[in-house]
Amino acid sequence: MTEHIVLRHRDIERIDQLEVYLENGGFRAFESIVRKKSPEQVIDIVKKSGLRGRGGAGFPTGVKWSFLTPDVYPRYVVANADESEPGTFKDREIMERNPFQFLEGVAICAYAAQAEVAYIYCRAEFWDLTLELDRKIEQLKEGGLLGKKLFGSDFSLEMYTHLGAGAYICGEETALLESLEGKLGQPRLRPPFPAAEGLYGKPTVVNNVETLTNLPLIIDRGVDWYRKIGTEKSTGTKVFSVSGNIELPGNYELPLGTTFRELIFEHAGGIPNGHAIKAILPAGASAPILPASDEVLDTKMDYESVPEVGSSLGSASIIVIDETVDIAWVESKITDFFEHESCGKCTPCRDGTYWMKHIFERIMDDTAQAHEIDLLHTVGIGIQGKCLCALGDFAALAVTTAVERFRPDFDLHVQGKSSKAA
Amino acid sequence: MSVTLTIDGTEVTVPEGTLLVDAAKRRGTDVPVFCYHPKMKPVGMCRVCLVEIGRPARDRATGESLLDESGDPLIQFGPNLETACTITVGQGWQVRVSSEKAIQGRKEIVEYLLTSHPLDCPICDKGGECPLQDLTMGHGSGESRFLFDDKIRLAKRYPLGELIFLDRERCIQCARCTRFQDEIVGDPVIGFYERGRRLEIVTYSDPGFDSYFSGNTTDICPVGALTTADFRFGARPWELNSAASICPHCPVGCNLTLSTRREASNAGRDVVKRVMPRQNEQVNEIWICDKGRFVHHYARSPERLTSPRVRKNGKLVKASWNEALTRAAEGLKGAASSAVGIASGRLMNEDLFNLKELMAALGGRAILVDSMAGGNLIQRYGVGVGSNLGSLGKRDAVLVIAADLHEEAPIWWLRLKQAAERGTTLIVANARATRLDDYAKHRVRYGPGEAVQAALGLLHLNGGDPELARFEGDRALKSAARAIKRARNVTIFFGQEGLNYAGTEALARACALITESKGRVGKSNNGLVAVWPRANTQGAWDMGLRPEPAGLHRALAGAVAAYIVAADPVGDDPAAAAPFEKLSTLIVQDLFLTATAELADVVLPAQAFVERAGTFTSGERRVQRLYPAVGALAGSLPDWKIVANLAHRLEVDLEDKAAPLVFERIAAAVPDYLGLSYDDLAAVEPQWPEVGGADLYFGGTAYANKQGLGVQLAPRGAGRPLKWKAPPRASAGKDLLLTPVTVLYDRGSALRHSRLLEGRIAPLQLILHPDEIERLGLSEAGEVEISWDGRSERLKFAASTDVPPGSALVPRGAGLALSDPTPVTVRRSNS
Amino acid sequence: MNPLELLRGLATTLSMMFERPVTYQYPEIKRPVRERFKGRHELKRYDNGLEKCIGCSLCAAACPADAIFVESAENTDEERYSPGERYASTYEINMLRCIFCGYCEDACPTEAIVLEHNYELSFTNRRDAIYTRDMLLVPAPEHGRPTPMVTAPREFDRSIPEMADPQ
Repeated sequence: MTEHIVLRHRDIERIDQLEVYLENGGFRAFESIVRKKSPEQVIDIVKKSGLRGRGGAGFPTGVKWSFLTPDVYPRYVVANADESEPGTFKDREIMERNPFQFLEGVAICAYAAQAEVAYIYCRAEFWDLTLELDRKIEQLKEGGLLGKKLFGSDFSLEMYTHLGAGAYICGEETALLESLEGKLGQPRLRPPFPAAEGLYGKPTVVNNVETLTNLPLIIDRGVDWYRKIGTEKSTGTKVFSVSGNIELPGNYELPLGTTFRELIFEHAGGIPNGHAIKAILPAGASAPILPASDEVLDTKMDYESVPEVGSSLGSASIIVIDETVDIAWVESKITDFFEHESCGKCTPCRDGTYWMKHIFERIMDDTAQAHEIDLLHTVGIGIQGKCLCALGDFAALAVTTAVERFRPDFDLHVQGKSSKAA
Repeated sequence: MSVTLTIDGTEVTVPEGTLLVDAAKRRGTDVPVFCYHPKMKPVGMCRVCLVEIGRPARDRATGESLLDESGDPLIQFGPNLETACTITVGQGWQVRVSSEKAIQGRKEIVEYLLTSHPLDCPICDKGGECPLQDLTMGHGSGESRFLFDDKIRLAKRYPLGELIFLDRERCIQCARCTRFQDEIVGDPVIGFYERGRRLEIVTYSDPGFDSYFSGNTTDICPVGALTTADFRFGARPWELNSAASICPHCPVGCNLTLSTRREASNAGRDVVKRVMPRQNEQVNEIWICDKGRFVHHYARSPERLTSPRVRKNGKLVKASWNEALTRAAEGLKGAASSAVGIASGRLMNEDLFNLKELMAALGGRAILVDSMAGGNLIQRYGVGVGSNLGSLGKRDAVLVIAADLHEEAPIWWLRLKQAAERGTTLIVANARATRLDDYAKHRVRYGPGEAVQAALGLLHLNGGDPELARFEGDRALKSAARAIKRARNVTIFFGQEGLNYAGTEALARACALITESKGRVGKSNNGLVAVWPRANTQGAWDMGLRPEPAGLHRALAGAVAAYIVAADPVGDDPAAAAPFEKLSTLIVQDLFLTATAELADVVLPAQAFVERAGTFTSGERRVQRLYPAVGALAGSLPDWKIVANLAHRLEVDLEDKAAPLVFERIAAAVPDYLGLSYDDLAAVEPQWPEVGGADLYFGGTAYANKQGLGVQLAPRGAGRPLKWKAPPRASAGKDLLLTPVTVLYDRGSALRHSRLLEGRIAPLQLILHPDEIERLGLSEAGEVEISWDGRSERLKFAASTDVPPGSALVPRGAGLALSDPTPVTVRRSNS
Repeated sequence: MNPLELLRGLATTLSMMFERPVTYQYPEIKRPVRERFKGRHELKRYDNGLEKCIGCSLCAAACPADAIFVESAENTDEERYSPGERYASTYEINMLRCIFCGYCEDACPTEAIVLEHNYELSFTNRRDAIYTRDMLLVPAPEHGRPTPMVTAPREFDRSIPEMADPQ
C-alpha cells in the first residue's frame, strides 16, 4: 500500500486546512459533478465503483442510493458518525485529520440524492470534534462550496452537525433518524426503509463516514482506478482499527482482501511479549469470535471471505486476543456492554442481555453451575433471529460462538479453576 | 382486492393490507400479542407474535413463480420467525402458527418477558384478567430457568398523576400507553425514558398525566403496570359483576360497563367498583373519557337524599312518600294549567315522557332548562341512519361550529381527530382557538358571538339565498364553504358557545340549510348534530319538552306551582331565586338537596343512573339502554315512577310499573320512536376488532358489547321549507363580551361529589387577552371586578392569547351565575 | 329361659364393666387433636407483627362453600398492616358455611391462613357465625408490634414471595 485513499492526511500534511485540501484537488470532484453530471450519472459511477457501506453491513452504496423514492422531496442525507462499536476508531481519525474530504463526500452524496440538507450525526463523545466540524462547515460556506445555488447551478446544500446523547443503538440507521428527530433512540420497524421514509418521513440516505470519504477520489480518479484496489466484489481500501493484544494498535488503511495475518503480523507488529494469538474479534463486539487458526489468519478480510470462516467483517474493528486472556472474561465484558446499550424496544434483546449478564456474573464469580454455560448458550441462541433490529443478533453472536468455540475457557469457571484473567 | 393465503393448513381470504395477526384472528387462530393493538399502528416490539412465513419463490431474473415437482408453487420459508403483527398478508403465502419452531419461539419470548416481571399476581389488580397471565398459560413454559434473585427491583408505586399509578416492575415496555396517548389522543404527555431494562414510563406534564383520556391506558395495558386510583386494590376481577350502562355526562352516549361487587361499607350490598368502556364501534369504539370513568362516585355520596321532605312551619322535614306526594299533588292540582314542569336533559326518556304527559294532562307546560335551540331541527335534519364518525373518509367533511368538542364531548373530539387523520376534511369555526384546530384543514375565525354570521356565510356559498351576500366572509370562510360544497358527505356539529337561545336557533337553521344543499338530508354521515349541554337533551326535545326562549323567569311568570326535576336553576344563578320564592308550591326532584330544593315545599329523592333502567338519546340520535347495576339507594325512586305516582294522585294515568312499559308508551306516542322496544335496543351484532374474547386478543379489559348497540333514529327529512334567520343583534359597545365556555371538569354536582377529580376542576377565573390585561392596567396577581345588568362580581383572572379581541372568557358552571354571553364592564378591583 | 343363656348374652356387657372408660368428660377434659386436624382458621403474623395476609382473595376464590369474604386496601408506611402494598381491610369467614376443607390454606400464597386446632365453634345466632378479621388474626408475637404500624419508607415494599419472616 503506497497511497492512502481515506487516511490521506498520512500522505499530505495539513490536509485538514482548507487551502491545503483545495491545493490537492479538493472539491474538484464535487464541483465537476454539480456542473457536468446528473444525479443519476453520479449514482451510476458509485454503483460501478463497487463501493460498499463501511459501517458494517457492506451494502453496495450506489444501489442504496438508487432506492430513493422518486419524485418525493425534500430528501435528506445523514452521515452516520455515531462511531460506537467497541474497537472502532476510524471515523474519528478521518473527521479529525481529513475533515474536508469527508465533507466533500457528504456533499457528493447529497447531490446524488438531490438532498439540499445534510446532517452529520456524531456520537456524544465527539463534542469537540463536532465543534471543529462546525467551523469547517462555516469555512466551506464562506468559500462558496456550500450554500445556495452552488457553482451557478440550481443545487443548494446546507450541512448541520448533530450530537447524539451517548447510545450505541443510534449507530443503527433508523434509531439514528429517531434520535435526529429528537425522539428516543430506538430502531424503527423496517420496511419502510429510510430510502422510502427516513428523516421526518422523507426519503433519506444514511451512510457511514468512511463510505462518504471514499467518494471524492472515486469521482476524481474514476471507477477503473478504484476497482483495481481490493477484490472483485469488495473493491477499494478499508480502514482496519486494530486493538487488543497487539504491538502497534491503530488504524491501518489496506486494500480489502488483505489477510488477517498480514494485518496483524506485518503491519501491526504482531503480538507483544512473545505470546501466541488466541482469537480475533473481527468486527468489534458484534460479530462471532474467531479462533486464530492458520485457516482464519490466512483468510482475506473482505465482505465475502470472513463469513466463510464463520464471522463477518462488520466495521473491521479487529480486536486481537492472545493466549493469556480468558475468553469468558472477554464475553462477560461484551455482555455488560450490550446489556447497558440495549435500547429496550424489543423483548429478546432487552431481557435476554439482562439475563445473560446475570449468568455471567455467576460465571465470573466461579459460582455458576455447569448447566448454566448451556443455559447461557440457549439464551443467546434464543435472542438471535427474533429481534427488531440487527443489534439484537449482535448482542448474542459473540457470546454464543464463544461458548461453541472456546468452551474450555467457560468450563474452567464452573470447576473453580479460573485464572481470573484481567 | 382480497388475498388468499393458508394459515396452519386452512385457506383464508382477507382484504389486501390485512395484518397477518388479524387474518389469523378472522380464521379463528389466536396469535398472541402484547404490543399490538388493533386500534394502533403496529410496532413489532414485544416479538411474541412470531410465526413462520413461507412465500412463493420467484425467479430473480424473470420474476416468475417457481414451481415444485408436482407443479405447485414452490414455497420458501425464511430462516427466521417473523412477527405476524407487522406483516401484511401476501397472495399464496403459507403461514405456520402452530409449528414446533413457532411455538418454541413464542415460548422463549414469554420466558424472556417473565424474567423481568415480578410475578406478584396475587396482589396485582390485573390478576385474573391479565393477558400476560393468559398468554403465559397458553404459550409459555411451565418453569423458568431464570433465577428469581436476579430479578430487577423497581418502584412498585409510582403515581403518574393523581389518577393513574405505574408499577415499574410490572411494565413490559410494550408502549401501548405511550402510543395511545401519542397516536390516538394526540396528548403525548407520557413517554419512555432511559433504555434497556431500565426503560420506564415517565410523565412530562403538570399535573402529571394531564389528559382527558388517561384512564384508557389502564384498559389496554396488557399487564398490571398501570392502575387507576379508582380501582387500585379495589377488588379481584373474578369477583366483579357487570352491568351495561350509558354515560350520562355528555351527548356522545358512550357505552359503559359498570363493574360491581358487594362491599362491607355498603352493608354487604353492591357498589360500583369501576367504570369501563363497552365496545360500540359506532359510538365510542373502546374508549371513554376520564370524566365518564371517574365521576361515578357522586352516586354513593352520603349527601344523597334518602327520603322525601316536606316544608312544615317553614322548615324542610323528612316525610313519608305518601305525605310528600299527596302534598305535591295538592299543589299541582290547585295550580292546574298554571303549573310548570321544568326538567333537564340529565333525565332519561322515560322520566321526560311521564313528566311531559303529566304536565299536558294538567294543562301546564313542560320546560327544558337547557337553553339551546335546534332539537326540532335535529329531528328533521339530524344525521342519517348508519352515520358513524369512524367510517368517515377522504371525501367527507365535518364542520364543527361554536363548540369546543375536547371539553364538551371528548369522544367526539377523539373520533373527529382520527377522521381528520384519515383524510376527512375537518372545518372548525369558532371565535377562538380550540384543541380541534390542530387537526382542521380549514379554520374559520369569527368575531365574538358571531357564529351565526359565519354559518350564514357558509350557507351563502352553498346555494343559499342571494340576500346572504353580506355574510360572505374572509378567504378562510370561502375555502371552507367550497370544501363543504365539494364533499361527498357533510356532518355539522353545532354548539352554543358565544350564543344565547336566539343565537343557537339561528345557527341551527343556518346549519340545517347547509345540509339541505345538494340533497344531503337523511343520508348517512350527513346531517346535524347538536353539541347539547346534557346527555339526553335531544331525548327531551323528542319527548316534547322545549326551552323557554325568553328564559325561565318568563316561564315562571304567572305560574302558581312548579315541578322541577333534575335541574337546579337557583344553584346556577342565586339571583334567579325570586320567582321561585313567589310560587305557592315548589316541588323539586333530585339526587341532592340543591339550592333550588332548599326553597322547595316538597323534595322528592330520585335515583342515580347506576341504579336505573332507562334510555338516553344521544346527540347522534342513537337511543341506547341503561341497565341497573346496583340496588337503589333506600328511600329513592326512579324519576318516571315518582312522576307516575304523583300523576295517580291527580287521576292521570301514567305507567308506574316498569321502565320498559313506559318505553312501550313512548313507542306508541312519540313519532320517531314508533314501534321501538327495549329488545330492539338490546340487539347486538359482531363488531371488529373483536374484544373481550377468551384469548384477550385486545390484551386488556375492554368489554364486548352483549347488551345492545342501540338504535339510531331516522331523521324525518326536510319537509316544509326552512327560512334562515338573521343573527341576533350584538350589543357589545365599549364593554367586553363575556362568553361562558364549557369545560369538562366543571363545578357541577357530579364532580363536586366525586373526590377523585377534585384537583382538576376548572378554577373560577376570568380569562383575558394579555393585551386587555395591559389595557386595563392589571397587575399580575390581582382581581378584577366585572359588572353587568347592575350586578357585579370580583374574580381572579388569567391570561390567554386565545381569547378573541373584544371578549373575555369564563368557564361555564365554575361558579359565575352567567349562562349566556353578556357584555360586561371589567375594571381593576379596588382592594 | 336358661339363665346361662342370659349370662352368655350379657358376657360382653359385663366384661366391659372392668375396662377403663373411654369417654372424655368434655368440656372439663378436652381430647387432643391430631397435628393435621383442620379446625378454626387463624390469620398468622410474621415475627415482627406484620400480618401475613395480603388481601389477595385467593382463599375466597378457592373456597367451595363461598364462606370467605375479603376486601383489600393499600398499605402506607405510616399505616402498615402487611408487607407490600396490599392488605386485607375486611376479612370474614362464615363458619356456618365453612366445610373445613383447607382449600383456603392451599391457595394462600403467603401461608397466612391456617386451619388450626380449635373446634369449639358454636353460636346462638347466625351473625355470630361470621368470624371477622379481628377474631381470626393471632395476637402480635412477643417481639413484634401490633398492626397497623409505622415502618421505614421502602422497608416492606414487596408482599410476595418473600416468605421468610421479615427482620
